[in-house]
Amino acid sequence: MVKKIFGKGGKEGQQEIVGFVLIVVLVMVGLMVFLIISIQQPTVEKNSVAVENLLNSIMMQTSGCAPSFVPNYDDYENLFSSCYRGKMCSNLNEPSCDYLERTLIDLLETLVKTEATVSAYQLDFVKKDDEGEVGIMRILEGNCPGVITSAQKTLISNSDNLVIRLSLCKN
Amino acid sequence: MVIFKNRGQMKIQQMAFMLVGVFFFFMLVGLFLIRVQLGTITETVERLEQESAIESLEVIASMPELNCDSVTSLCLDRDKLGILSGDTIYSDFWPVASIKVYLVSSEFETEILCPEVNCNYYEIFDNGQTNKKEVSTFVSVCETATESGYVYDNCEVGKLVVGVNMQEE
Repeated sequence: MVKKIFGKGGKEGQQEIVGFVLIVVLVMVGLMVFLIISIQQPTVEKNSVAVENLLNSIMMQTSGCAPSFVPNYDDYENLFSSCYRGKMCSNLNEPSCDYLERTLIDLLETLVKTEATVSAYQLDFVKKDDEGEVGIMRILEGNCPGVITSAQKTLISNSDNLVIRLSLCKN
Repeated sequence: MVIFKNRGQMKIQQMAFMLVGVFFFFMLVGLFLIRVQLGTITETVERLEQESAIESLEVIASMPELNCDSVTSLCLDRDKLGILSGDTIYSDFWPVASIKVYLVSSEFETEILCPEVNCNYYEIFDNGQTNKKEVSTFVSVCETATESGYVYDNCEVGKLVVGVNMQEE
């Protein structure tokens, strides 16, 4: 009788251990789900109207660089093309790419300050062809813990496709 | 016999506790997922509302009283802004509570109302209403400039801020 009880007790003990292991596995699966959701990458949203308006305004801004003669100043849209073609700012005696990068960093910093919710920004200037994208310039500032909104503009220069992509990170 | 009866009851009790535990566990997981889903929906609604508000600003910016030309969207004529700034004749014309345009391409510490020297914002209209919601978007502010006998468009980045009437409760 005593043996029987112990034998049964042993089997039941094994069953309980199996049950316990199952519960532990279930809890682990649950934790994994939490972990996956919490470390999910922020969603990339394209064609944000707000960012598109900002990018268009920047493209229309008149720069201080006149590649041909003063006062035939480039707006930023033409300045990107001038940079790609390796032109000089004749009035400043400075390569247009250097001028573009220098002034664009300041301009973006100033503009982003007017938007309280923006914690980081990135501007990419790339050449796009059949093989993919070749980076020409990148301006990156801040860290992104929130949602990314972006917009892009395509220019054609010397029959090449140039893409200017602006991404803002909003908290 | 008494021992077996007690053991059976204990097993049933254990099972009941287990079932309750598992039920609560899945309920918590479910609640968490529902919360995440609802959060995403709320974010999407907020974003769509904001995008819709920004798109409605294009209507204001496209008005011939403000825009540079009929072709370029979100482009304001600085000369027109100067004329309309502080003008009360158009008070009944604007379908909004207020319209302001800030010149934001260069940083500024204090707001200086145009047409003062080194001004940085235009107040086109303000009906004085306090119960309003302000919506803004970036625009281009352009003027025709002359240098060395050459006429060109000088544009800079501006911010159009429109106050939308809120319904009185």
